[in-house]
This record gives sequence, structure tokens and C-alpha cells, in this order.
Amino acid sequence: MTQAVAARASAHQPYLDAVRATLQASFCIENFESQVVERHNKPEVEVKTSKQLLLNPVVISRNQNEQILIEGSINSVRISVAVKQADDLEKILCKRLMRFMMQRADDFYILRRKPVNGYDISFLVTNFHAENMYKHRLVDFIIYFLEEIDKEISKMKLDVSSRARMCADEFFKKFN
Amino acid sequence: MTGRLPACVIDNGTGYTKLGYAGNNEPHFIIPSAIAVRERPGGSRIGQCGEDLDFFIGDEAFNAKGYSVKYPIRHGIVEDWDLMEKYWEHCLFKYLRCDPEDHHFLLTEPPLNTPENREYTAEIMFELFNVPGLYIALQATLALYASWIASDVKNMLTGLVVDSGDGVTHVVPVADGYLIGSSIKHVPISGRDITYFVQTLLREREPNIPPEQSLETAKTIKERYCYVCPDIAKEFAKFDEDPRKNYLQYTGINAVTKKPFNVDIGHERFLGPEIFFHPEFANPEFNTSLSKLIDDIIQDCPVDVRRKLYGNIVLSGGSTMFKGFDKRLKRDVQRLVDGRLRESEELSKHKPEPIDVKVVAHAMQRYAVWFGGSLAASTPNFYEVCHTRKEYEEKGPSICRYNAVFNLV
Amino acid sequence: MILLEVHNRIIEELLTVQIETFLRKEKLVEVKTDVVDFDGAMYHVTSSRDKPFIVSIKLKFYRDLEQYGTDDVLRREYGDLLVTPLEGYNVTLSLDFNTQLPKGDTNEVWLPLVRKIAMLKRNCFAAVFEKYFEFQSKQETKTETHKRAVIHYRDDETMYVDASSDRVIVIFSTVFKDPDDNIIGRVFMEEFKERRRQFQQAPQVIVSYRTPPEELKDMPDARTGDNIGYLTFVLFPRHTKVAERDNTINLIHTLRNYFHYHIKCCKAYLHAHMRHKTNEFLKRLQLARPEVKKSFRRIGNNAGDAPAATE
Repeated sequence: MTQAVAARASAHQPYLDAVRATLQASFCIENFESQVVERHNKPEVEVKTSKQLLLNPVVISRNQNEQILIEGSINSVRISVAVKQADDLEKILCKRLMRFMMQRADDFYILRRKPVNGYDISFLVTNFHAENMYKHRLVDFIIYFLEEIDKEISKMKLDVSSRARMCADEFFKKFN
Repeated sequence: MTGRLPACVIDNGTGYTKLGYAGNNEPHFIIPSAIAVRERPGGSRIGQCGEDLDFFIGDEAFNAKGYSVKYPIRHGIVEDWDLMEKYWEHCLFKYLRCDPEDHHFLLTEPPLNTPENREYTAEIMFELFNVPGLYIALQATLALYASWIASDVKNMLTGLVVDSGDGVTHVVPVADGYLIGSSIKHVPISGRDITYFVQTLLREREPNIPPEQSLETAKTIKERYCYVCPDIAKEFAKFDEDPRKNYLQYTGINAVTKKPFNVDIGHERFLGPEIFFHPEFANPEFNTSLSKLIDDIIQDCPVDVRRKLYGNIVLSGGSTMFKGFDKRLKRDVQRLVDGRLRESEELSKHKPEPIDVKVVAHAMQRYAVWFGGSLAASTPNFYEVCHTRKEYEEKGPSICRYNAVFNLV
Repeated sequence: MILLEVHNRIIEELLTVQIETFLRKEKLVEVKTDVVDFDGAMYHVTSSRDKPFIVSIKLKFYRDLEQYGTDDVLRREYGDLLVTPLEGYNVTLSLDFNTQLPKGDTNEVWLPLVRKIAMLKRNCFAAVFEKYFEFQSKQETKTETHKRAVIHYRDDETMYVDASSDRVIVIFSTVFKDPDDNIIGRVFMEEFKERRRQFQQAPQVIVSYRTPPEELKDMPDARTGDNIGYLTFVLFPRHTKVAERDNTINLIHTLRNYFHYHIKCCKAYLHAHMRHKTNEFLKRLQLARPEVKKSFRRIGNNAGDAPAATE
């Protein structure tokens, strides 16, 4: 079991490395005040008021289901993750977990309340976050998140079937 | 409404949870808000599959061997959601025996509950239990509903609720069903403090009580014999004059030896509940009597509701059940009010309109909150204000941040 | 709690308290209350000082049950406790503490009676099963003598019971109103089918989704739909013999609620898990937030350490 996980993790590694490098590069963000409204300061990647302030979005994908979209701009980065969902059960588990976290987005500072269309969960890092937090640790966090999320969903999936098994066993046991 | 099953009303308090079906006069169960779970090595909360079903709630929690007893609710507010979730599991499937998909639910919340907590509650109720409708009601408002059975003014949604349970006492001013948040006061004197106080009094005098049973004995004595007297000095004199008439005997049974023991009950009969009016007896750091506090709170409220609040002081919770409590409270508050009016008359030479203080006591006081909930949830209006599953799916848990106050008639 | 209880706790508790008060010769409290049980069963309970303790039950599908001789079973179980049903209710039991309470010193003499009264709903159900178990053991399986029993035990869920010479077949249909429940429910049903092999003594289980199983081909009103599951139990004589009957009935008739209970508990377990994981993520994220005081000191103490590297 442990070996399998290790093998998987290493298969994962190039993907994660690519994400890490891209994130590090895209976290070069600075304070930038709105060009449209005076005294406003908005994440340009969200408001998209001027093309000049946006960078080309980068998609890093491992396969069709698993990919990450990194959209950079002058003062903010938006990171959207699509998580692997092989079947209906994984789909609802993923949906529930993501919804649960997004419900608590306030505590997460960088979590977006809604994912970008086509993705399961999105983060928005602004220059203020980058100034108040360690950038390298933010990158670490996102990588950790990517690593854990798959594990978590497959673990929950196992939990459901072992629960179902227990439930069936206990019921049948009672027959004589 | 035909064919609709009655709603479930669950009032989760710090000490006790009251649960039952709407439309009844009494909750079907009043069980301790305690849950017994297996302590896991390493302190990790998530056990193996199936282990999470191994727990007990209520009275059964205290009898379970090899489990540790926890209280998911502190000061009226849910602190441990994992445990609360489980607690509700048993409430629904073991105690009420209902499929939550078939019933609407009315839950209660303490004053100053956080909107996040309402969201968490909604999340659990809608996503796990698939309830068709949920309403989270303010305990104080429900206590007002309940008081209508005793008061001659119906539909009065303005009043001052004195809610004293086992663990916490709140004094909550409510105007038109909404609480006046800035004026809520929390009193550090509740049922448990009275029990402790009676226990100390007994310990000094009665050597017969087995030490391990002293709390239990104190509790029984409190519940059966305590009352509120109009004046302690006079009451002391009365007791000393004719001790034989006023001293009572209580016979308990020693749990170990099974032999009966006798306890004399004297001054503690009226001294116990007296700590509401003289808190310094039990708690040296707090010396504002309940009546003074009520007066202060009402003075703190907007001027246009003050008169109404004085006229509708509603009692709720087991610790307000002492005989004479309502009369004493009314007299003391009235005295304070009259005193102030007299002062103002002297200063302004103008006679103000007198203020009538009324304290509403009624038969359902002990579980007034639950009873109010039961009344509320059996009216058709309830189904109109309930947050529905459809709404939840569309907008998410935030719908439960706000619960519209509704009138029963 | 893994298996659901068969009796109704509220009724049991009410009755126990009343009897205890009665035996202590204290004044009985006035009781008048309405109670609900699984599958929309409604009880009405009254008790007062000078009147007997009365429990009435109302089941929406009582008419379905009645055809299969509930009366016989109830008469056998409750005997003279059975009285004319209260208006609007299907069955009424009346217990007079003065005359009908078993005499004895310990509470063991009357506790079984209390339990029996709390199992009123179960016993209403039992009639159907017993009847068909009986058919099977007597080999009365010709279609002329009886036909398949159809019990609409919930608004859109139905139970079918049928007997043949060597087996009794019980089919449940259940609806998963919530799409997520539907998916989890399917995993549960699949496991029921799989795990059965490990338990030779248990009845055979057949699972079908969306459409009713073969046996119900001739039932035009058997529902079809994406969120419908059918569970078929094949009970052999070992399950239907007199000694095993009660156990089999207890298990089978609570199955639907057992199922839904566990789906909900499973979601609760997942929820606890998510709460745990979310906290873990939060802790990780906290690492990225320098605590102002702490990091200040750290930089002061050993400059050039990790925090400095951020810039």
C-alpha cells in the first residue's frame, strides 16, 4: 500500500513541479490601483478592465480531468483546480468537500467563494495576501492542497464502501 | 395541513435538551445534553469506520462504561459540531424515531448566536438529514409565545425574558419579536449555583449525608423544598420562632449501604433561591441582584419599549420555578421603578404616569422555550417562514442567517 | 447504535413512568400526547388518574395490512387489551393499571408488557409476514388461495410479499429523494448484494435499480425511475420457521429505515472527516501567515533565517 502511494506520488511529481514553478513566477504581483474608479483597488484578474494588465493564463494538466489553471495579472493571481473524479461517487464527494471548504472561505483568506467555471475550486491571491504572508509558503500550501485532495477523496470513497459493507454485515449477522 | 406529519421541535440547551413533536404540551424527552464517546488513543477524532456509531446520549451517556462524557454545548452555544451531529443522529433516529425527510424542524438558538453557527446548523440539517424545512427560532421569542397561555394580552411580542436554566441565566429584552442585542445581560447565577450553595449549607450542618451523594441530595432538596421568601430577615425570625413547624425532614437512601439517612432542611429552603436577589452570598464578585439588573436593562433599552417591557416580564426555565419567585421579582422591580418615579416627581414637580410591573408566570415555565416552539411549529404560518430545501439548494446555508419572526395567529 | 430499535421509545417511557407512579401509589399525571414513528405511524396516547392508559395507532397503509389478518395477530399479542379503535385510528389498546397489570414485586413482571405495547407498530406489520410464512410452511401456494400482498408503506414506496412452496419473497422499493443519497444508496445496495455471500445463513438478496425486478413484471403500478431501488429478499424455511420468525420480521420490516439511517450516518461521518481535513488545510495555511511578534523576534535573533528568504 505504502509503496503504491509512493509510486503514485512520484508519478505526480513532474506535474507538481510544473505547478510550483509557474506559481512562483506568477506570484510577482504588486499593488496596483484601479484605472477605472478612483481610489479603488481591485484584483485585475477578476475585474479584467484592461488587457494590458493581464498575463496569458497557463493551464497545466496532468490529464483531461486533472488540471490547474493559473491566471496572472499585475496585482492578483487566480488559481483554479480541477480534481480527478472517476465516477458518480467521487463526483459527489468532491462536490461536497469543495462546498464545505468554500462555505468557510472566510477563514481561508485566499479561497474564492465560487470556483471558476469548469473547475472545482479556485483561489485568488492578491498583492495584499502576498505582502502579508510568506509567498513561498503560499506556494507550499497550494502544492500541499493538490497532493492531499486526491488522497482525501479516495479515502472518503473507501469510507463509504466500508461503511456500506459494515452496514450489510451487521444486518446479515443477525439472521440465524 | 392534512396529511402533513407534525414538525419536530428540538431545544438544545446547555444542560438539557428538550425534544418532541409539535402540537404537544410537553416535550417527549428531557435529556441531558451529554454525549458519551469512546476516547481514542492519540486524541484523534476520526475513528475507523463504524466506530463513530458507538456512542450514547442523554441519561444513557452517564451509565455507559468505558466512555468519556462530553458536552457539545457550552453557554448555550454549540462548540463541538462533530459531537452535535452525532447527538442529533440519536435524537432523530433513536428517540424521536422519525425519518427527518418527512418532518419540518424547529430548532432553537440562544441570544447572540453567531450567523455562522446558524449556517453550520443548516448545513447539517439540510445536507445530512435532508430535512424538507428548517426554522431556527430565538429561545427568548419562543418563551414569549409560551407566556401567552397565562397572560391576558395575546400576541404580545415585546417583553423581557428571564431565562434561567441549569447552566446559564439570560435576561433578554425583546421588541416585536427581535431582541435588543445591546441590552442583553448574562447573569452568573443559575440552577447549578443554587445547588452548590445548598450543598455548602448542608455540608456545614448535616454530617449524615454521604459525601458522594451530597450534590444529588442538594439537588433534590432544591427542587422539592426551596422557595423564595418576601424578606429574609423576617423569614429567619419566623424560622427561629417556631423551628419545629418550618424545619423539614428529608430521607435519602445511601447508595452504598442502602440504609436511609435523615437530613434536616431549614434555612436553605429560602436561602438557596435567595442568591438570585443577593448574589454575593454565593459569588463574591457579583453583587447586582436580579431585580436591579432587570431594571438596569430596561433603562438601557429604547425609551418607547420600556413601559411595555416592564409590563411583560416573562419567566422561563427550570430555575425560575421556585414558589414566590414571580411575586418577589415583581415587588422588587416595582419598588425600584416607583422609587425612580418619585425622585423624578420631586425634581420636576410633575406627576409621571405610574408604571405597572407585571411578571408572567405560567404552568409551562419549566420548558417554556420548547412549549413555545411546539405552539409555533403547529401553526400554518410556521410552514410559510420555514426555510425550505429548495431554497437551500438554490442559495446555500446563508438563508438560515435570518429567520423571520412570525405571529402565531 | 447500529440496528434501529424495534419498539417506540416514547411510548415505552411514558408507560413506564405511569406504571411506576401507579405502583408508588402516587397521583398519576395527566397525559395526552401525539407521537410519530417511522413510516408515518401516528400514535395518540392518553392516560389520567381514573382512566386506563390508552394507546391508539394510525397507519396510512392499515387498510393494506388489514387484508392479511392483522386482527388475528394483534388479538394473539394483546388479548383483552384490544378495544374498539378510537375514531380516526386503526388500533387502540387500553391498559387498566388496577386490573390488567401483572402482579409481582419487581418491575420484571410488567416490563415485558410495556415493551409489547411499545411494539404495536411492529406487530401490525408482523401480520402480513406471518401470514405468508404460514402459507409457505403449509405449502398453500396455489395462486387461487392468495395473491401477492402489496403494502404501500410510504407515499411512494411499496413492499411486496409473496410465498411459494420453498420460499417467501419480500420486495421493497425505496426512493432516494436526494440525488447524492441516490449515489451513496447504490453503493450500499451493491454491498448488500456482495456481502450476502459471506453469510450463508442470511436470506438471498437481489438488487435492482430504476426498474422493478422480474417478479414484479405483472405489477403495472410498480414505479420506475432513476432514484428508485428495489431490494428483494428471498426467505427460506430456515428464516420463516416459527422459532426464527420474530427475528426475521424485526429485521426485515425496519430495513428501509435502517438503510436511510445509515446513509445519513455515513454522510455525517464524511462530514466529520471534511471538518477535520479543512482544519488541517487551515493549519497549513496559517504557516504562511507570519505572526507579527514572533517573526520579528526570529529575524532579530538569527538573521538570514527562513523568513528573510521570502523577500
